[in-house]
Amino acid sequence: MSDIALEVSHLTKNFRLHSEKTNSIKQLIAARGRNRFAEFTALDDVSFTVHEGEVFGVIGQNGSGKSTLLKCMAGILQPNSGWVKVHKRMSALLELGAGFHPELSGRDNIFLNAAILGMGRREIAARFDEIVEFSGLESFIDAPVKTYSSGMYVRLAFAVAINVDPRLLIVDEILAVGDVTFQQRCLEKFVEFRNDGRTIVLVTHDLGSVKNMCDRAIWLTHGKITGEGDPSDLVEAYTEMMLGNRNRDVDGRVRRGSGELQISSVELFVGDNPEPVKRFRTSDSIRLRLNYQATKPVPKPIFGFEIQSLGGATVTAPCTRDVGLIPEMVSGEGHIDIEMDSVGLLPGTYDIHTTVTDFNRQHEYDNVHLALRFDVMSGKPYETGALVTMRPQWTIS
Amino acid sequence: MAHRNLLYLLSLKELRTRYKKSVLGWAWSLLNPLSQMLIFTVIFKYVFKQNPLPGDPSGLRNFPLYFLAGLLPYNFFAITVGVSMGAVQGGASLIKKVQFPHEHLVFSVVIAQFVTLMIELAILTAALLLAGSMVLPWLPVMLAVMCMLALFTTGVALVLAAANVFYHDVNYLWSIVSQLLFYATPIIYFPQAISLRPLVLLANYGPTGSFITAAHNIMYDHRVPSAGRLLELVVLGFGMFFIGVWVFNRLSPKFAEEM
Repeated sequence: MSDIALEVSHLTKNFRLHSEKTNSIKQLIAARGRNRFAEFTALDDVSFTVHEGEVFGVIGQNGSGKSTLLKCMAGILQPNSGWVKVHKRMSALLELGAGFHPELSGRDNIFLNAAILGMGRREIAARFDEIVEFSGLESFIDAPVKTYSSGMYVRLAFAVAINVDPRLLIVDEILAVGDVTFQQRCLEKFVEFRNDGRTIVLVTHDLGSVKNMCDRAIWLTHGKITGEGDPSDLVEAYTEMMLGNRNRDVDGRVRRGSGELQISSVELFVGDNPEPVKRFRTSDSIRLRLNYQATKPVPKPIFGFEIQSLGGATVTAPCTRDVGLIPEMVSGEGHIDIEMDSVGLLPGTYDIHTTVTDFNRQHEYDNVHLALRFDVMSGKPYETGALVTMRPQWTIS
Repeated sequence: MAHRNLLYLLSLKELRTRYKKSVLGWAWSLLNPLSQMLIFTVIFKYVFKQNPLPGDPSGLRNFPLYFLAGLLPYNFFAITVGVSMGAVQGGASLIKKVQFPHEHLVFSVVIAQFVTLMIELAILTAALLLAGSMVLPWLPVMLAVMCMLALFTTGVALVLAAANVFYHDVNYLWSIVSQLLFYATPIIYFPQAISLRPLVLLANYGPTGSFITAAHNIMYDHRVPSAGRLLELVVLGFGMFFIGVWVFNRLSPKFAEEM
């Protein structure tokens, strides 16, 4: 068994819920003797252990105690009972740029922020160039941060935070910062972290990253651990629970979204066969048809789909925005055809999920889980062990 | 000491950002006591037609210099305590998101204000020299007394800044108390010239009275304060400092929840 990086034992945290917070002495005196407050248990006897080199996920709904747990682990909140033991150098990223001072330059803020995160002077100086390079703000580093755009601000903050060089990193939802390229860089950094054998605790709503990145996860409900173990199983159970109150359409598919524009069905065609099918072979050329229906005109919708293996791994998830195919307005009925030549999927069962969103991918018109399930049968090349073939050409000399 | 670097950088930030965006910048820290000194001089010399008592043994007879010798240390004390409360309150976003030694928020204010005090005292020294008063040999004693004052101030600041997190009244109370304390401290009068009994006691033996009297002894009278006085200052300085640290450490783990 590898070394323990973090231990949480019988952690319980209560909060007092004042009807109105007594922050003045007058209120305190007025309320004396009848100091009513409701006690709210945010964490109830939570115990778990994180081993070194593990990526550990914490999932749960809003109000499940995730943030409280995080703050207790980070040493910001004191638990009412139980304890947290941190065995490695820890860095907890709860908020980026906490403590940035707007009047100071980027350079001064790097030093100040890194010091707040616990770095020594020499250490910061040694990593300074790396931090600046990672942030990509070389030419702005001597300007006061109040002149930065919010994106620049976050990039600088993340660059500092990630360079604190912790053995144990506790992260709260911050993968979703900056533009796409910066997100990509952050993700790379996390993967690098993981491959270095460092420990990461990820507290997030983003089930995809839990599934993809975590080795183990816990699921919090009302301050209690309701599940612990393999992230895929846990995420599935969690999604199931969350989807419990969502609509199921006539075919039993799970659907959500505002509904002005919906994918009514998904059809799969192979080659020139005009009849839709549900199976094909590796390297077949296929065509996906997304049939849509709009109850009223919808401007600039983005259509997307996702192919997932039964195990939950996403094989591909393209959308029309990726290729710049953005219709000004969509109304009535119609379909979108997606041609894919010699598809390199290996034998197995796959599911297609579809989404229709607005241009900014913020508002969801429609989201169908399991819009279509299909099978891939063995074709050429034949491979085992994974989902996709790269059509390798082997030579041995 | 862990986080020494943080303390250094926080103090630096405190100094650098204080007079950002003002044309006169650092001159402001001097203009405040100077204007106070001017007002008091005009009032006492021309309105009340008073004459300053001579320094013993310096023989100095000068209202402005007497006022400044008391004002500068007192302002350091009162401003530091007030700013410290604001610094802890203003550090809420940090306290709620990052684990770090909260007392550094107060320490950095003390350090930054102490640097200001040293600059102001240097200017007072120059003024004394111009007035023909050889004050230089007494400066080491003054520095030692100011260090005790800094310890005392830190202690008071720690207690009040921590209490202010829980009850914001402390902040408002302080602006009244610091004003009362100003008049209960021999800054604009000579302690030997007053007869009101409680005020005499407070001026001579009260904490701020002791520090300011010692400052007058050194800068105006040019003599080392009595051994008893020095002992009192050492006890006040260290005593208050340790009380402050103790109280602050007891309360600071609850800050994040309370803010």
